[in-house]
Amino acid sequence: MRELSLHILDAMENSLEAGATLIEVIIEEDLAADWLTITVRDNGRGMSEAQLARVFDSFFTTRSTRHVGLGIPLFNAAAERCNGKLAVTSQPGKGTTLQATFQHSHIDRAPLGDIEGTLLTIILCGSCDVHYVHRVGGREFAFHTADMRAELGEIPLTRPEVRHWLEEFITEGEAGLR
Amino acid sequence: MKLKEISRPLSLKVQTAAEKLDTEVTGGYAADLLSCVMAKAQAGNVWVTLQGHPNIVAVASLLNLAGVIITEGMAPDPATLEKAEEQGIPILTTPLTTFTVVGKLFALGVRGVDEIQPDG
Repeated sequence: MRELSLHILDAMENSLEAGATLIEVIIEEDLAADWLTITVRDNGRGMSEAQLARVFDSFFTTRSTRHVGLGIPLFNAAAERCNGKLAVTSQPGKGTTLQATFQHSHIDRAPLGDIEGTLLTIILCGSCDVHYVHRVGGREFAFHTADMRAELGEIPLTRPEVRHWLEEFITEGEAGLR
Repeated sequence: MKLKEISRPLSLKVQTAAEKLDTEVTGGYAADLLSCVMAKAQAGNVWVTLQGHPNIVAVASLLNLAGVIITEGMAPDPATLEKAEEQGIPILTTPLTTFTVVGKLFALGVRGVDEIQPDG
């Protein structure tokens, strides 16, 4: 994919489909060590050992509408192309964690891309909470939608004013890391 | 145009699914990003790439592509060949670069998805 955020979006969609009520996204850019690590962790239904053993196989999918599942194989291929790898751990009933590593400066490493849009898409489409942490060197931008919901009380995150604020908050937070 | 009418003049080496060389080719697409291929390539297209991992078979199978041409002498992974044989996806290899292959395909009359008229 052209942007790493598309892999993150795909992973978060998988989490939603797995019935997660919390998705944690941690993006760690360690410029000194030249590593970019993306972690997507959810508390969804998780996978059995048999399922887990086949997640890197592009001909394995749990869906019945088609016979291939390319989300994880493509995420893995993107990481491997940049001297990294994708690790998937899961426990039935507990959740699934994806951790992808990339050599930060690798010429084939796609840019992070539209992470703002990715986060907003997931936050605004469901009832799932998102805990987001993005570290670049020593700087950090982080939020938890559960804190926002607590602050807002009855007002939903999807309300236009709130949505607009959220958009600006994430855009500014990300801009502060650049 | 059939796949074999492409493989012969381009001296492509047929690695898998030789029985599928009579497949009709509807056009061509070239890219190494699988997500782009998934978004753009059409059924019956021949796909030109230098990727050799098994995911290309999944993409080709998903889209019902006529075949995959792997360029620059890249050797496809053994798992790719195995899967392609199993799925009946012709994999053809060549030492030529993607640019040259696409040029030769164009000369043979194979057109890209953006040039093919809806009425054929």
